[in-house]
This record gives sequence, structure tokens and C-alpha cells, in this order.
Amino acid sequence: MKIVLYLHMHQPWRLARFRYLDLGSGRSYFDIERNLAIFRGIAERCYRPALDRLLHALETHEEFRLSLSITGTFVEQAKLAAPDVLDKVRALVATGRVSLLAETYYHSLAFLVPPPELSEEVRMHRDMLRAEFGVETKVLRMTELAYSDDLARFAESERFGGMLAEGWEGMLRGHPPTYRYCAAPAPTVMLLLRHYPLSDDVGFRFSSREWNEYPLTAEKYARWLGGTPGELIGLFMDFETFGEHHHASTGILEFLSALPEAVRREPHLGWATVEEAIRGPPRDTLSVPYTMSWADQNRDLGAWLGNDLQRSAFEAVKKVGIVVRETRDPAILTDWRKLLTSDHFYYMYVSGHGADQGVHQYFSSYDSPYDAYANYMNALSDLRRRALEKLGVPILK
Amino acid sequence: MRTVAASRPLHIVMVGWEWPPNHTGGLGVHSFEISKELTRLGHRITFLTPFGGPFTPVEGVTFRFPGGPPATTGTTPPAIDFPPAYWAGGTPDSPFMDATDGYNVWISLLEGLGPVDVVHVHDWFGTVGARALAQRLDVPLVMSVHSTEYDRSLGHPWQHILDREQVGIDAATRVIAVSRHLRQQIIDRYHADPGKMRVIYNAVRPSARLERIDPAKRVVLYVGRLAVMKGVDTYLRAAARIAAKFPDVLFVVAGEGPEYNHLVRLAAGLGVGDHVMFLGKVTEEERDLLLAGSSVFVLPSVVEPFGIAALEAMAAGVPTILSKTSGVAEVTSGAFTVDFWDADEFASRIAELLEYPTLRAAMGEQGRWEALREGWPERARETVGVYLEAMAARGRQP
Repeated sequence: MKIVLYLHMHQPWRLARFRYLDLGSGRSYFDIERNLAIFRGIAERCYRPALDRLLHALETHEEFRLSLSITGTFVEQAKLAAPDVLDKVRALVATGRVSLLAETYYHSLAFLVPPPELSEEVRMHRDMLRAEFGVETKVLRMTELAYSDDLARFAESERFGGMLAEGWEGMLRGHPPTYRYCAAPAPTVMLLLRHYPLSDDVGFRFSSREWNEYPLTAEKYARWLGGTPGELIGLFMDFETFGEHHHASTGILEFLSALPEAVRREPHLGWATVEEAIRGPPRDTLSVPYTMSWADQNRDLGAWLGNDLQRSAFEAVKKVGIVVRETRDPAILTDWRKLLTSDHFYYMYVSGHGADQGVHQYFSSYDSPYDAYANYMNALSDLRRRALEKLGVPILK
Repeated sequence: MRTVAASRPLHIVMVGWEWPPNHTGGLGVHSFEISKELTRLGHRITFLTPFGGPFTPVEGVTFRFPGGPPATTGTTPPAIDFPPAYWAGGTPDSPFMDATDGYNVWISLLEGLGPVDVVHVHDWFGTVGARALAQRLDVPLVMSVHSTEYDRSLGHPWQHILDREQVGIDAATRVIAVSRHLRQQIIDRYHADPGKMRVIYNAVRPSARLERIDPAKRVVLYVGRLAVMKGVDTYLRAAARIAAKFPDVLFVVAGEGPEYNHLVRLAAGLGVGDHVMFLGKVTEEERDLLLAGSSVFVLPSVVEPFGIAALEAMAAGVPTILSKTSGVAEVTSGAFTVDFWDADEFASRIAELLEYPTLRAAMGEQGRWEALREGWPERARETVGVYLEAMAARGRQP
């Protein structure tokens, strides 16, 4: 049994308060200083200590393997706020036992807008990884672990050998999530599945005192991993799990440090990168005719496009994209792509009263989804105005 | 808030001020609504007021006022003639205070009430009389504070009124504040024992959502008194920032007050005389029609212990913009909140609601749900809970 530990590193370019009165003012939509201040804080609490511990684990346990995905917006912010964080990632990559994954450069919903946006963003991201880390990627993860048959076809057309997906019963139809599968419409694309109960034990439940398994030790967790039947266990989670979502005082960093040794003591456990894990025959084919994600109870796109505000904003940004592309103006295109980042839509989620409410609240940088929507629409209206001006189209109203 | 039900009907002497239909502020509405729900729970109320009616009748409520017999509707002319208070243009040495003192003397001497369980006084008007009455009847005193003199006077309080507030807060076994913000102020400024403070929010009645009068016509609405602390000047400055961009929008100001002339001049001076409409005082019915025809409601108050007008707008499904300092902001997540001095931000929020129909609909829905989630019945149950606490604290069996 191989453990595929995969951690996702991402920070969005959050919007500044862009008032309706700011339309046409030429002000930036993005509060760079605030974003960098947030980044510096997370670097201190999470990125630096966790990356150091992972490097130590690689140095002391030659069997330890790790996979990372790093968004383009993360790298842009790291360069400005904490360049040493990138050096630490380079040090991990230099061990030869760390895989990097491809994704959309802007952590965007590009897969839902007309081509060629998705392939351009994935190409941008692959170019960035080549330039920054000297790495060629073979495995693709889509924003928020989105996956569908269409996305598998896309992965095949871009010559990826594998993709990640949620190991959700709804699509597994009785198959266990602990094996390698291949995409039904694209048999060269191997699927690695997230084992969500074991992933969420660390990602969500680790610091919860109401959890009947609290406190979770590395030894106990390694026993659970060792007792799980199958070939592969996909532990996919946010990198920020370690020191940010769970504060250092919860012992999460010690847990991370202790895990490789605890796993070593379990007789049938080992580690694999995503690139190692996609090698070998698939157990079966899987078909997912709709788009699935790793979020919330429904594992669909409801967290981003579930309500009227989100759908209205997304339809608007899609529409503006048509004019934006016409302009062939790199600055306008870049701003549009930053607005396509999925986080903006997440902030517009109107909480019901279920289990997902607290999670959404935690990640939002606004007082309310209405604030998030109004601010986003102002920025988008301004961008549309800029694009139309560039094209020489008279602006009505 | 615990909501223990009483095991027998209580007789509550409510020391009030105004009562519908003759009321200028939120206190009259509050007295009416809470009394109505208390009587529905089986309790009996004697409502004291210095004014002679008419009174909108509520079964189970008897009105007592100086110069007249106990009444259930009443149209007797008032025995006390009230000169204008400062908020209506009076001054601290005006005969207004003499008149309220007369009301208090009358309260303290009031006879023929029968067995009473609790005396409940609203704001400062009748605190001195209520204290004397509760002592004489040997029952607990509960005080509700809807706003304080510091807030109403914007930093220039009348000492007479501060003293009367202090009397009530000191004498009451339990003090009810209409927001957490106000509760803290009472503890800080009046040194109230935090252990006797309770928070009970205001509520609104569910009303049928009226059809918009004219879907093509767009109205931005302010309803309330025209007093300095209401921040209506900020609303007008905000209107001036965006009026040119929204020529189809009318900024309506409904209400009367000492700032009326100043505000009319300000609107003209800002060049938005054509875009702003001053309606003067409106009836409840007119207000409901206005709400039904409005796209946005604005409550720009500098000071607003609660702000029931905003809750009424939300209940009508009108997306609402509140100043951050208003008490009602504590009970809603479905309204925009803005610093009271930030006219540009008010302007932007108004424009965003006018510009984005999806936002308007979503906020309207959320606000309506929040405003009606807990109504007066719940508030009345909470109030009974406070009565029972006060009685228990005085060793009385409910």
C-alpha cells in the first residue's frame, strides 16, 4: 500500500474594496499590499515551518515521497512577499522525490469558459513550473479538484498521463477509492482518487475537540492507513492545513514531522509521488459525466456556482471575456484572468445552515456574500469599460 | 435569552409615553407590539401615558392617563399640556420638563390598580414615578432602555434627563437594552451592574409583501425623524454623488423634525433639489406603500440604538444599507453596513443595489427572512422571562 501525499499551495489575488464610485478611476482592483501582508503571515505560520519539516522528512526518510501543486498567483505573491518560500520548495524538488502537478495558472474556473482559455492557462502554468523549478509535469489537477469525462479528454489532448479526482461514492459505483483507475473516455489518463475520510481526518477534524478520535497522533493515523485495504491511499489536502487552517498550537506540525517515522513502522506501508502512482495497470475505467469537485457535502460546483449571485457573476465574467480577448491587451487579459480565480466566487456563497457554513465563513475575505458580489461586479464593470474603450466602442450609459 | 413561561397571568403596569396612532418614534410602536403579544400570552396590562388618546385598542390593555378615567380607547383631552421638547425645538429650561415632572407625580400617586406583579418603565419619561409606584406596591421594577440621552443629544445631554435615566437604571431589578451596543453603553456610562442587564431586540410584524407601485420607477428611501443624529445629511451627500448617473431615481426623505429646513437647503445647495423629495410625516399605511415601491432603504444614523425602520424595510423585502453603529446591524447579515460619515461608501452601496438586480433580489430575500425570523411573540416571551427573573430576585412567586 502506497500513500500518495499531495498538498495544494494557493493564494488568490484578493480584490481591494473597489467602489461603484471608483469605476473609471484607473484604480487597481487588487490590494497588493494587503495580499502580501496575508501571505507573509501565512508564510510565517505555515509555509516556512511546514516546508522545513517536509525537507527534514525527505532527508531522514529516503522512502518518503511528496507531491505539490503551486498556483501561478501563489508564486507571484511569494516572489514579492517571501521569496525564501520558493527556495524551500526548490530544495524539496531537488531531492528528486517530490512531484509537482500542473493546473490552471490562476486557480481559475477556466474549464467552464470557452476555449482556448483552459489550455492557455495550463500552458502558462507548465511554463512557470519549468522556469521556476525546472520541472516537467505529467499529472494534472484541476481547480478545486474538479473532474469530469470532458476534463479527462482535455488532459489526454494535453498529453497528461494522469489526473486527480475526489474518491466520492457517487461516482465510484461500488469501486474502492484505493486503486488506480483510468478515464473511460481517455484510457491513457490514469485517475488517482482522494481518500476523503482519511484526508479530512487531518484536513478538517485534526484540531476538533468534539471529534471522538481527538487527539490524533501520527501513530494512530499510521495504524489507520496500514489497516486500509488496496494499493494507493490518496491524501490530498491544502498545504495550509499545516499551521494555518490548524494553528501550530494544535500540534499539527509535530504530527507532520512524526508521520514518516510512524508510517515506516507499519509493515505494509510506503510512499509514492503522483508520477509514481500513475505507473501500472488500472483496476478499471471510471466515467464521470458531470463535473465533480472536492468541496462541501455535495462534491459538485455548488460552492462556486450554486446561487444566483455566483451564477450571475460568472455569466458576466464569461461575457466580458469575449470583449477582453478582442482587445489583445495583455494587462486587460491578465486582470480578467485574475477575476476568473475561483476564490472570488467562493466568497459569494450564501450559507445555508448546514455543515459547510463555517468553512465558507473561514475562507472569506468579506463581511458577507453581498459585499463580495457587489465589489466583484464593480471591478468587472470597470474592466468591461476598459476593454470597450480599447476597442473604441462607445460606452452606453 | 431564557424564555420561561409564567405559571399564571401577570398584571403588568407599563409606564409608557406614546401609544399609536399618536406616536412620533419607535417607542410607541414597541409599546404597542410588545403589549399586544403579552396579552396574547394571557397577561394583563395597565398602560400609563401622559397623553389623552385616542388609543388603538388592544384587548387586555387598559389605559390610564392624567385627568381621565381608565379607558380602553379614550379620546379625553390630556390633562397635561406638553410644550415641545428639545428634539422638537425646545430648550432645557422649557416647561417641557415641568410637564414630565407632573406626569411622574401623577404616577407615584396612582390608585385603583388592584394586585400588580411588576412595574415596567420605558426610557426616562416616567422613571421617578415608576420607582415610587413600585416601592409603594412592593413589586419589582423593570426598565427598558430604547436609547440614551447621550445618543439623542449627540454629546450635549440635558442633565435633567440623565438624572432620570440614572434613577430608573439604579432602581430597576432588571434593565432591558434593545442592542448589545446599548447594553454596553448603559454599563459604561451609567455604571449599571452587568448582572441585571438583558438584551431584547426589537422585531417587526410580518406584513403582506405589497406589489411594487410602479416597477419602472425607482425609489431610494429614508424614513425617520429628521434629527441631527439620524445622519440624513450624509444620505443627501451620497445622493448628490450618484444622482447624475441615475436620472430615473428619486431619493425620498419621509419624516419630520428639527432638521427639516436645513436638509431642504442642503439638498438644494448640493444641486439635487430635483432628485430629492421631502414627504414630511407619513402614516404607517403610506410608509408601507413607500416601502413597496422602493429599491433601496438607507438608515445613515450617526447614533441608532436599534433602528426599527430598517427592520421594517427588510421585512418588506427592500435591500437595506445601515450605518455600522446601528443596533439593528447586530441582528442582520443581509444588509450592507457603512461607516456613518462615509458618504462615498453610502453612494457606492446605493449605486450597486440600483445597478445589480441579482444583488437586490438576493439581499431583499435574505433581509426579509432575517427580519421575520423572530417576531414580537418571541420578544414578548423573552420579556416575560425578564419579569419572572425580576420577581424571583425580589423573592416573589410567579
